[in-house]
Amino acid sequence: MSTLIVRNLGKTFRNVSAVNGLDLELRPGEIFVLLGPNGAGKTTTLKMIAGLVHPSEGDIIIKGINLNEHPIAAKAHIGYVPDEPFIYNKLTGREFINFIAGIYRIEKDHFEERMAAYFKRLGIGEWIDEFSEKYSHGMKQKVIMCQLFLHNPDLILIDEPLVGLDPKTSKTVREIFFELRDQGKTLFICTHTLSFAREIASRLGIISEGVLKFTGDLDALSTISGSRDIEEIYLKLTEESTTADR
Amino acid sequence: MKEFWLLLRSHIKTVITSITTMGAFRFISFVFVIACFLLGSYYLFFRIFTYLLSVEMIGPGLTDRLIEMSFFVFFTMLLFSNVITSFSTFYNDKELDFLFSLPVKPTSVYLVKLIENYLYASWATMILAIPLVIAYGVTTRAPLLYFPFSLLGVLIFPLIPAALASMFIFSLLRLFPRLQARDIILLSLGLIMALTFLYMKITNPGLLKLFETENERELLLFASNLTTIGGSYVPSTWLSNILRGLSTAHMSGFFYSALLFVVSLAATILAYLVAKLLYVQSWLLIGEHVARRRFKRSLLSFHSARPTRTFLMKDVLIFVREPTQWVQLSMFTILLIVYIFSLRRTPMYFTFPLWRTIVSFANFAYISFVIATFGVRFIYPAVSLERAGIWLLGSSPLSFRKIIAMKYLSNLFLAVVIIEALLIFSNVVIRTDNSVFFIMPIIALFVAASLVSINLGFGSRFPHFNEDNPSKIAAGSGGIIAALASITYVGISLIILAAPAYNYLASEYFNRPVNYPVIYSALAVFVFLNILTIGIPLKIASRSLVYADF
Repeated sequence: MSTLIVRNLGKTFRNVSAVNGLDLELRPGEIFVLLGPNGAGKTTTLKMIAGLVHPSEGDIIIKGINLNEHPIAAKAHIGYVPDEPFIYNKLTGREFINFIAGIYRIEKDHFEERMAAYFKRLGIGEWIDEFSEKYSHGMKQKVIMCQLFLHNPDLILIDEPLVGLDPKTSKTVREIFFELRDQGKTLFICTHTLSFAREIASRLGIISEGVLKFTGDLDALSTISGSRDIEEIYLKLTEESTTADR
Repeated sequence: MKEFWLLLRSHIKTVITSITTMGAFRFISFVFVIACFLLGSYYLFFRIFTYLLSVEMIGPGLTDRLIEMSFFVFFTMLLFSNVITSFSTFYNDKELDFLFSLPVKPTSVYLVKLIENYLYASWATMILAIPLVIAYGVTTRAPLLYFPFSLLGVLIFPLIPAALASMFIFSLLRLFPRLQARDIILLSLGLIMALTFLYMKITNPGLLKLFETENERELLLFASNLTTIGGSYVPSTWLSNILRGLSTAHMSGFFYSALLFVVSLAATILAYLVAKLLYVQSWLLIGEHVARRRFKRSLLSFHSARPTRTFLMKDVLIFVREPTQWVQLSMFTILLIVYIFSLRRTPMYFTFPLWRTIVSFANFAYISFVIATFGVRFIYPAVSLERAGIWLLGSSPLSFRKIIAMKYLSNLFLAVVIIEALLIFSNVVIRTDNSVFFIMPIIALFVAASLVSINLGFGSRFPHFNEDNPSKIAAGSGGIIAALASITYVGISLIILAAPAYNYLASEYFNRPVNYPVIYSALAVFVFLNILTIGIPLKIASRSLVYADF
């Protein structure tokens, strides 16, 4: 069964179309990376799938459950990491993790040891019992990443995962993503970092002005664009759409 | 100075943009509420002054004392509110990282922040002081010159506490950069209370003596014979002298205007020089001394796999750890305790059963308004305080309906505890008769349920997810609309309940027959009103979150 099916998805903000007629199907064990310039509609698409923005049209089906009709059941399969990580200032990282575990009805025995291992792996063990108001952007991002492993979601939605992370943690995060993929999870990642996209994606999508211009793997992308350089392909596809619109 | 004007202009532009983009409904409601408040306060002060000035012999003196006392309370409150807001304005504002990275003089940044702090800490006082000053001028038939001068005095007056607070906080943090917001608030609260007490003890010891009398005239004479409340060195006395002098075209009015202006200017210049010496240094030092407090055990450590319990624990923890919340709740509680004690100290009203009953109805009205204020300050920001974390709740399997239900029930519990405790204690003090004593707490349950719902409803309809200061959230246009709705609800409820209350008084003390149809229909209308005021705002709250785009 497909983890995610998106049909004719669209969002209009005050007569301005942010996303238009987006179709997509993601299978288990797939890492889908959505690329696009600023304001192309990447975050809006991700937020619609996370249930944070209401689509103007179209359907989102997560593990066979229609998000619009059964939001609570569908959201139980999602893990979401926003581009600006947020933790309540007056909670420590550990308290935040406990809070999320409570919201998802997870017993302490089921996550405490596992979380301790992730804290260590991501290098936040030293800070985890301090107020998050003292955390850097990167540290917050790491704690938010940890909460993904609490409820074992089938579909993981991540907006700009590498922002604020040091090179060592970026490498660890990449390794974790591959592990999740190998466990059969589906990852939907939005990013600007082309090298990261090339390295990690099973499939790429390029969105420009709210329209999904391309989906496929790097080989398919090279075939239609006549280049192996992802940067060149990206610029060509996004510029083409801008020129055509003019 | 060019840099200062440039920074100030960009701040003013931001304010103008936020006003012009707030939407017609919100803007009209905002203007309407402010206008209603100003007119209502003006009318109230006008009636008070008209009555007091008509009292033979002691009227004018008593009026002056009342004004002087009000300004003295304003001054003390302004000092405290400026210290509280100074820390967040001068040190905790994220904008400062950007401003200090610009090639501008730190003193320009200071001046812009001083104005911001002055406005934010003083607007509420000004809104209360302006109708007071105008009402006094109209009642005393003051010459035309009185109005511009006295209003200017009201605008200048809060500059002194703003400048003093910034000097205090710069010196404190330069010496002790490890201090946290909580320590500063507690320290300044203690210091201001101690200094005020000490100052009063030295300048006006008679005022602090407990005065008990059964005789109204004796009490009024005592009040009017007090020489000054704050003493001649306090700006609040100068402001009241401006009002008194200008209303009679006496030269002292101009003298005190000039004095207030010169001292405000001197305080600002002195604060500017202190800022030049200490501001950047202390700001940098605070950044170096990042306090590392560890919390290995807390409410959330006792983990529960029940979302409702977890959510409530989170709210309690955040509330307890946020100094601006609990300090204001403590001040609120202290003021209410003072109120109950003040009822105890004025037993002359409670001699006759009729008066006792009338006072207990007035007390009920007062407590309802108190809970309305509590709702706007503490319940209205509840949804906004989820801040950017709303994404987390929105993408979790916890429905917004459930979140609203949890917030409603936890806040209702708090509101019921406060309203019932206040009612029961005050009615014991007043010695209210039995039937009123038992009926009022039941009615109070409806009042609490509606006020919590109204504030939660508007708080969800007009959320401020980018703001982390609950006072600023409550002071926004949405908060003011919620305040109007709460006050309107209390007003309508009191009008409806006035019919059975009057009927009860008439039958109990004037031997008139009880009109049961009137009592039952009024109570039915009251219950119906409450079904609407509980149900509709809660529906709005859920719908606002369910259909919002985050």
